[in-house]
Amino acid sequence: MTLKTIKAYARAVAITFEITLRQNFSDAFIIFAVIVQPMIIAILALWMLRDIGGDIGIFVIVGSGLTGLWSGLLFISGNSITGERWVGTLEGLVASPTPMAVIVFGKNLANVFQSLASMIASYIAVALLFDLRITIEQPWLFAASLLVTVVAFICFGLIMAGLFVINPAFAQFQNGLEFPIYILAGFLFPIAMLPGWTTPISYVLAPYWAAVALHGSATGSVPPAEIGFAWLMMLVFSLVYVLASGRIFRIVLRKARVDATLSMQ
Amino acid sequence: MLNTARINLRLFWDGAVLSYIALFRWLRPSTYIASKVFGPLVYMLFFVLLGRYATGSSDASFFVIGNAIQMCAWSGIYGITMSITGDHWDGTLPYVFGAPANRLIVFLGRAFIHVIDGYLGVVLGFFWGITLLGLDLSQTSLPALALVVLITTISTSGLGMLLGCLSLMTRNVMFVNNTVFFGLLLFAGANVDVATFPGWMQSISYALPLTRGIQAGRAIVAGADLSQVSGLLSTEFLFGLIYIALGYVLFRWFEKQAKRRGTLEAV
Repeated sequence: MTLKTIKAYARAVAITFEITLRQNFSDAFIIFAVIVQPMIIAILALWMLRDIGGDIGIFVIVGSGLTGLWSGLLFISGNSITGERWVGTLEGLVASPTPMAVIVFGKNLANVFQSLASMIASYIAVALLFDLRITIEQPWLFAASLLVTVVAFICFGLIMAGLFVINPAFAQFQNGLEFPIYILAGFLFPIAMLPGWTTPISYVLAPYWAAVALHGSATGSVPPAEIGFAWLMMLVFSLVYVLASGRIFRIVLRKARVDATLSMQ
Repeated sequence: MLNTARINLRLFWDGAVLSYIALFRWLRPSTYIASKVFGPLVYMLFFVLLGRYATGSSDASFFVIGNAIQMCAWSGIYGITMSITGDHWDGTLPYVFGAPANRLIVFLGRAFIHVIDGYLGVVLGFFWGITLLGLDLSQTSLPALALVVLITTISTSGLGMLLGCLSLMTRNVMFVNNTVFFGLLLFAGANVDVATFPGWMQSISYALPLTRGIQAGRAIVAGADLSQVSGLLSTEFLFGLIYIALGYVLFRWFEKQAKRRGTLEAV
């Protein structure tokens, strides 16, 4: 890959990022998914868990923030290719010389960025409402955890976007995939509450390691070495997701160019 | 007279069944299972587990009952709203309002199957509660619980009918649906004792359907008889009727305004 190609891809990512953000900010469904729903979950969880005491405030804020990040990823990034099909622009996108993965990467970057930015604003509001003193015990580790989480979520989004296109049955269960990840990734309660057979499932989910790193660094309850291990797991899974998404995108392109079934629902 | 009644009955039934079938893409079983079985189950599991974590107790009946009864909102809010607003999006609204059909029959027909479906959803919720979460109904009068569920499903559907009409006037149907659904989750007391809310939150809770139904359901499961929850139930039913009436008034107002301004197909 030449420097010129990298510059061209970076420009495509930047433009996709901007257009996606502009579209997302005018979409009430997305506003609900990344702001309203996590706020309601945060308020409800704070009310339910208030007797636990300790650092439950920051635990709930980080946990409900992760629910917003996941819901945004599932509904916005998951539909990032399907959405183009709905508005009839998918064929043009596939025909353009920029690889589709680059476009979807730009879209996912915008989606995750928007989820994150919206949530930071809304959680400040929730903290003010409940008069919570938000203290992040290990701010540098938390910031680094957030960065690795963003990478892992964007890569996870690449897989979902492709899967939702090539398998409509998978897309039918899109709504039903929201809460299982909240449960299995331990966003708002530890996975130790779940039956033992679910633990290996949690371990292969990048959102679980994101929760370990973010909860651990925010509350200071996890040693740095364990947070580092969570980063490593997220990066390993990101690599797996990228490699798998490459295969999935090849199938999508084949559908477009050989089977001519791309625009079919 | 008899002929009119027969026509209205046919209109009611056809409207009810077809709007329901259309919603689930011609009854593809996988769509139904995804949205009415799997989705509500994992949603219930999440809040029951959160409740267990909050209380540190293995007895999660408070959360199981609350979330099982809240299952009626999946049909009552999402289903009915989508059925009413579906005519708008699918371009059939001009035919609905152009036909010389009784509007009340048409309006009620959009909710009928969803009330039955919502009822079955609550039954399924209790089934999950018993089989997966250890809910004990040994002290429970099942006919009384069945009546509580029926009344609560009707009253929640009343709110759905009002929202369905509101959704005829906005592009953001899912925003309205989702916000109200999650608002019910917060205020109706499925996961929190409403009595612990501050006064202004309690005022919202008691202006909503479902709140009293959930309280009555918990009392019945704990062994109360119907007479002990009759006040809660009659008020719950009354609120349902008020929401249905408001929805119908809005439905007629929308028709009148849309015809007058030529905005029947505007989105």
